[in-house]
Amino acid sequence: MTAGSYADAAGLVERSAAAYATAVPVTPEDDGFFGPASLTWRVSADLSAPVAGLRSLLMQALHPLAMAGVDQHSDWRTDPVGRLAATSAYEVTVTFGDRAGARRVAQRVRAIHEHVRGVDPETGQPYAAGDPALLVWVHAGLVDSALAACALFGTRLSDRDADAYVAEMTVAAELLGAPHEMIPDSVAALERYIAGVRPALRRTPAAAESMSYLLDPPGLDEDIAELWQDIRDAAVTALPGWARQMYGYPEPPPLTARRRTEIRQVLGVLDAVFLGEPGVLEARQRLAVRVRSAGKA
Amino acid sequence: MKVGAGGANAGTGRARKLVVAAGIGGVSVAALTLLRGRAGRRSGRAGRLTGPAGNLRVERGLAALRLAARGGARYATSAPRLFASAGEHREALRNDLALQTAEDVAATLGTMKGVLMKLGQMASYVDDGLSPAARRTLSRLQDSVPPMSPELAAQVVTEELGQPPEQIFATWDPEPIAAASIGQVHRAITFDGRAVAVKVQYPGIAETIEADLGNVGLLRRMLKITAPMQDVDALLAELRERVTEELDYRREARNQQMFARYYAGHPTIAIPEIVGELSTRRVVTSDLADGARFAELTTWSQAERDLAAETIYRFVFRSLYGAHAFNGDPHPGNYLFHGGGRVTFLDFGLVKHFTADELRPLVAMVRHLCVDNDPEGFRRAMEDAGFLMAGAPLPTDMIVEHMAVFYDTVRERGPRTMTGAYASAVTRRFFDFRSPLAAYVQIPRSYVILQRINLGLFALLGELSANADWRGIAEEIWPFVQGPPCTPMGAAEARWRATGGGAGDPGRSVKKVF
Repeated sequence: MTAGSYADAAGLVERSAAAYATAVPVTPEDDGFFGPASLTWRVSADLSAPVAGLRSLLMQALHPLAMAGVDQHSDWRTDPVGRLAATSAYEVTVTFGDRAGARRVAQRVRAIHEHVRGVDPETGQPYAAGDPALLVWVHAGLVDSALAACALFGTRLSDRDADAYVAEMTVAAELLGAPHEMIPDSVAALERYIAGVRPALRRTPAAAESMSYLLDPPGLDEDIAELWQDIRDAAVTALPGWARQMYGYPEPPPLTARRRTEIRQVLGVLDAVFLGEPGVLEARQRLAVRVRSAGKA
Repeated sequence: MKVGAGGANAGTGRARKLVVAAGIGGVSVAALTLLRGRAGRRSGRAGRLTGPAGNLRVERGLAALRLAARGGARYATSAPRLFASAGEHREALRNDLALQTAEDVAATLGTMKGVLMKLGQMASYVDDGLSPAARRTLSRLQDSVPPMSPELAAQVVTEELGQPPEQIFATWDPEPIAAASIGQVHRAITFDGRAVAVKVQYPGIAETIEADLGNVGLLRRMLKITAPMQDVDALLAELRERVTEELDYRREARNQQMFARYYAGHPTIAIPEIVGELSTRRVVTSDLADGARFAELTTWSQAERDLAAETIYRFVFRSLYGAHAFNGDPHPGNYLFHGGGRVTFLDFGLVKHFTADELRPLVAMVRHLCVDNDPEGFRRAMEDAGFLMAGAPLPTDMIVEHMAVFYDTVRERGPRTMTGAYASAVTRRFFDFRSPLAAYVQIPRSYVILQRINLGLFALLGELSANADWRGIAEEIWPFVQGPPCTPMGAAEARWRATGGGAGDPGRSVKKVF
């Protein structure tokens, strides 16, 4: 298969926005697994979130078995935009939803994972999406990317907050069935974990295809495509050097203050675009009110 | 008379021309439209190749807003309206969300949002191409900015005026009565009993916007595609200048004061007086005005609407010819109506002052076309003004025919009704890139704002279906005619002028001030 077998990416922003607007709860029963005062909420709302999202996918795809599961079972090729929107809706529900809502969506994903089994054509190894090792890898890719994106392009977390964020997030992996003791719960543990997995990582043809599609998605509205160039550069810049080498991406120039500002400006424009989509401002306001009242309490 | 309108012919087939011609809002139009225009940059990178930059056109509106607007079009039908405009809860909600610190301001309006708002607003002054959806999006962006908390507003007043508002004013209303684009308006009563409106700027907004304009990476890369280097620098300078001007309320205060002085005692034009000692860079205090809004005016009798329209018309052209100044914001929200044609004019944030040299060719154009009936003289004046390339291989009668629409309402005496159709026709002609004149015509930077006569004033008068002898009124005001009063309002204005109204050249005194 070639990258050409992917459906185009039209509607990426609209559908992500719709997923976000719908997933932010209107009348939550409780503050969910994190809550308005959590670092998880803060990190999720950071300007750098789109960079974090893209970097997550780049990281996650380097695990051949995780990539094979996506490639062989999901609708990723036929409806990549729908797949991304669904992932984004899932993350938003787990982060901002109440506990029952988070459990419900997690349960649904676990049920789907039951059927995601096969053999990776590259390594010849069997895989199962519910395999705790894969769940933890996907989780670690996301957590590591959120920290990296905040540090480079958003509001950097203090060392202490970064540890607290990694610890907070363990519950997200547990919801999908990863055993607690396997999930990194500090920055140091996260780094050790990633270093430990590294020998198993590689760029499979499926990963190469998926990621070259993601870095330059065909069919994007031309205006969005322009902004995407910078988001992409930012995500690649935020990758660990070894991950860039696996993909064969050239080493980016050092991130100057000016370039950082440019990327932040692009993120700001993208955010304004996102804000213009139906329901997004309302969803933001619902969250802002909760964060405010949490701050007062 | 419609000298300004003549200036409005932006027709040019090439984006660069228009960019070069861009002044006040034109720059912003160009800047934002170019969000889509980085084809050249992309082609040198890993990204997919696109066509040459040549297909880029400064045309309908702003990419960023257009982008954002795609959703806006669906908004009305599908949005879960679970806040942004939640009816009776709206006020309480806005208080819950109120900006409490300068950091909140930066988070809300930093990283380009304030700049986009400002540029979008300016672009809407000069570019009719903003779609209704883009307009909605712009207002959404503005909706996304909550008011300041009473404490934060008070803090700004304290920093600017030296004492808390409760000590500066006899009465201070901590709840804002209106939102301004980068601030909000509070009511107060001074110790000498004046009811005033106090506009308070968001703290840090000027720095935030200036920083985004200062790190011009995004803007510069976008602009490079259509404009050669020297133009980019000029454009960025112009852009920053305009936006920066608006961030300094002292300039607005001076302009308003100038207009207030010029029209002091005028029978139908009122301008709230500035309270100079209570006005600074981030706070501007003026008399509090009250009256009917534009929406209400449209429900009044046609006679009332005609009178209001006559006043607005007189104000625009009297200001241009007499005060050499143009208030670039004939937005319906900037008027208060009192009946009998009396109108209060608000908001002087975007005022352009003209030198006599700048105005001279415009005056010559209208004179040659409408009074002397001298097409060759008209053409020469267009060339002098810089609108028309000298020696353009076009017959003069074609030029006249193309331009005549801008002068349509003042070529002959007699009552005429302004219509929406006329305003649209003028606008269409204005944006006619296919015209044979397009390659030879441009708008010099200093005249760009006069587009607002077409896009703003005529649209406004059209909405009122205003009827008057526009030529007769124009003749009263045209300095080369100085015709007799042709309406009762004209007679009252003549008496005002005879007793010293509108005397002197405020344009000159303004220059001293600046």
